[in-house]
Amino acid sequence: MSIALCRVDDRLIHGQVVVGWGQPLHCGLIALVDDEVRRSEWEQDLYRMGVPSHIEVVFASVDEAVEQFAAWESDPRVAMMLMGDLDTARALCERCPSMRRLNIGGIHHRVGRTERLRYVYLSDGEVATLRAIAARGVTVTAQDVPTAPPVPLEDFT
Amino acid sequence: MAAVTPSLRRSFLRLFAVQGSWNYDRMLGLGIGVAEEPLLRDLAARDGEAAYRAAVGRGAGFFNSHPYLAGLVVGATARAEHDHVAPERIERLRAALCGPLGSLGDRLVWAGWLPFLSALAVVGVALGAGWLAVVAFLVVYNVGHLWLRWWALRAGWEHGVRVAAALHAPGLQRAARLVAPAMAFAAGLAIPAGVAVLAGHVPAWSFVDLGGAAVAGFGVLWWRHSVFDGARLGLVAVLIALIVGAVVW
Repeated sequence: MSIALCRVDDRLIHGQVVVGWGQPLHCGLIALVDDEVRRSEWEQDLYRMGVPSHIEVVFASVDEAVEQFAAWESDPRVAMMLMGDLDTARALCERCPSMRRLNIGGIHHRVGRTERLRYVYLSDGEVATLRAIAARGVTVTAQDVPTAPPVPLEDFT
Repeated sequence: MAAVTPSLRRSFLRLFAVQGSWNYDRMLGLGIGVAEEPLLRDLAARDGEAAYRAAVGRGAGFFNSHPYLAGLVVGATARAEHDHVAPERIERLRAALCGPLGSLGDRLVWAGWLPFLSALAVVGVALGAGWLAVVAFLVVYNVGHLWLRWWALRAGWEHGVRVAAALHAPGLQRAARLVAPAMAFAAGLAIPAGVAVLAGHVPAWSFVDLGGAAVAGFGVLWWRHSVFDGARLGLVAVLIALIVGAVVW
């Protein structure tokens, strides 16, 4: 199989991810890539709680994800990779050349960010990060749920 | 459980307005901040006005979850602020709670308690209980609803950043597992009972049959939940009923 979705979402695992994407994709494996969550037992505990038992959740740091990326791609189950922020996404795109698509699923309001889409708020620095990712040939689109049309990077930055 | 203080009661009352300023920027965030504020007031005296203001500001940032369980994040972050947990860690706690509180609340309430009791009320009306069934629905539903809100706030306030322990409570997990098949059972009774009332006379034995089918459906969902969901099972049952009906008549 393959990694069906590489998604940036600051809420990481929540209903939109598990039900909205997980069910139509028949996802069996979620790889949650975040250095902080990897170090934090109680955060892992909370994120695992939102996932039904037939989906395995793997927590990885960026370094571990780079090592594991090929294994997740060849896993017999359909995998989803989740990242909480754009720096993690950029690091993975730079170090995993076979990652060709990036989904922006939810980056929410914070001081310094402005609204780009209803579910995407970005600072100017984050826009530059996204453009740098796209410049590597990665297709960047924003799409919160599978039933919504994907929005190309040019249309929301 | 931690003692019930006036500020906890005030926070509980404010939680009824948690969706009052819902918007795409922060979703429930402002409502959470307003509900948390009474629990943070004593920080002003202890750590100074600036610390209090910063804590209230953190409380009002982006958040989304089920409204009845919102008290859990209110209590947990307020407790964490009192425990001098680092601000970055509090923000991570808030982010990590969105998903589990949303999915638990959806399962318990929107897909469980509410349709379960609505269906029972329909059965009650069909059996002739009239307005009494409607009043009983409103009373029982809100007893559960208010209990869940109060439990969530107190559990959060008790546990702080270790709030996952409260969510693992066996009673809560059992309730989350039981409520979906119970809802399916009640809906399986309510739909034919409602139809029977609207259609006029229906022979009594058909209710026994339907009750049996509902019990069987409950059993299938209970034992084979990984294979069947309620909707799929319902469609299969309707299909079988149509085929049997076409063959017999």
